[in-house]
Amino acid sequence: MEHNGFLQEQKTLEGDLNSDTSHKSSVDFLMNWFRKRSIFVLAYGTGCGAIEMPPTFTSRYDAERLGIRGAATPRQADVIIVSGYCSYKTLRRIIRTYEQMSNPKYLLALGSCTVNGGMYWDSYNTIKKLEDYLPVDMYVNGCMPRPESILEGFIALQKEIGEGKASSWQKYEENYEFYRKNQEAVLGEKVEPSYDADWYLYDGGL
Amino acid sequence: METMMFKQIKSHFATDDVEVKRNDLYKVGVRHERLFELIHMLRDEYDYKTLNAITCTDWIEEGHFALTYMLTTEDRKHTFMIQTMINREDAHIKSFSHEFKQAEIMERDLHEMYGIDFQGNKNLKELSLENWVHTPPLRREFDTLEFVNNNLTFREGRDDNIDTKVESKRLRALKKAEKEAAKKAKEAAAAETVKDEEVKDGK
Repeated sequence: MEHNGFLQEQKTLEGDLNSDTSHKSSVDFLMNWFRKRSIFVLAYGTGCGAIEMPPTFTSRYDAERLGIRGAATPRQADVIIVSGYCSYKTLRRIIRTYEQMSNPKYLLALGSCTVNGGMYWDSYNTIKKLEDYLPVDMYVNGCMPRPESILEGFIALQKEIGEGKASSWQKYEENYEFYRKNQEAVLGEKVEPSYDADWYLYDGGL
Repeated sequence: METMMFKQIKSHFATDDVEVKRNDLYKVGVRHERLFELIHMLRDEYDYKTLNAITCTDWIEEGHFALTYMLTTEDRKHTFMIQTMINREDAHIKSFSHEFKQAEIMERDLHEMYGIDFQGNKNLKELSLENWVHTPPLRREFDTLEFVNNNLTFREGRDDNIDTKVESKRLRALKKAEKEAAKKAKEAAAAETVKDEEVKDGK
């Protein structure tokens, strides 16, 4: 194999990304192609895994060469990354953020904490299986996954999007009762966080 | 100066529990009724002006919490730990928030994690938990694992999941057997050569 560094790496990474043939019609193909090639990732991190995201998106690993870049608000984003352990308090905010995002939306979960609790397996305040509460498109395991793994996770997600298989947002809408039931089981009946400013303005501040 | 201070504390507060932990760290234990008097004395007469931390240790077997107030001098060179015991059941103590502003958030934290009632603190609401209704989580009677098993579901393992303890034991035994076999073979080979030499010499 001829070695020419970065280009070769990108070639290896993208691999058979362009060779999918499972699309139904050319319109579908085009739609999926556009979606997979312009992934806007919400600038939001939970837990320790958020530390791996800046190198992924900046010059060292440069995710933008694959069409992946950051987005400032949930309404503009396609992908939300749950990057690590997820406490009840964080879960509220993640649910609120996820529900604010517009379709199609995808959820990438990083680290063993989202898979089965990881090192917080006996913690009283973190959830163990993220997919009980929100639909997950792609898990990237590791503690924490390095930027290379995150990129590979993104490529796998892109491949699924290109084939039209990544449809977790539809799953969430169809099985909303299931997810809501699980959310209420850990968060109580009021799942959404309250956004009043009393923590800051009254009762002696924070 | 230190000896004078210790003498004064010992005589005023009727305690022998004064300890020099390091040359910049002292510790004293007092009864909780006299705690504020002692802190006022250290603050006013000996320049211990900053309250660094309030920490709590749960001594469930003895039935009390040990609260530790850490005070630092204005030049930041000496620290005083003042330890006091309060009853575990019906844990309450007077708040310090009106004298040290920073005590408010420390007391809030302890209230959340241990259920200690700091009387006089007006802002004792939840700090990092939300809508917590169970036993305060850092009290030792709170069984974390039981709570997790009751409230959360774990992912089931794969079918080809191997118990790592059993597997590593098996591998270790295998390695040991291999090593012993190699050793035996070596010994046998050595014995053979010796025999061969003897036979040669015999000739």
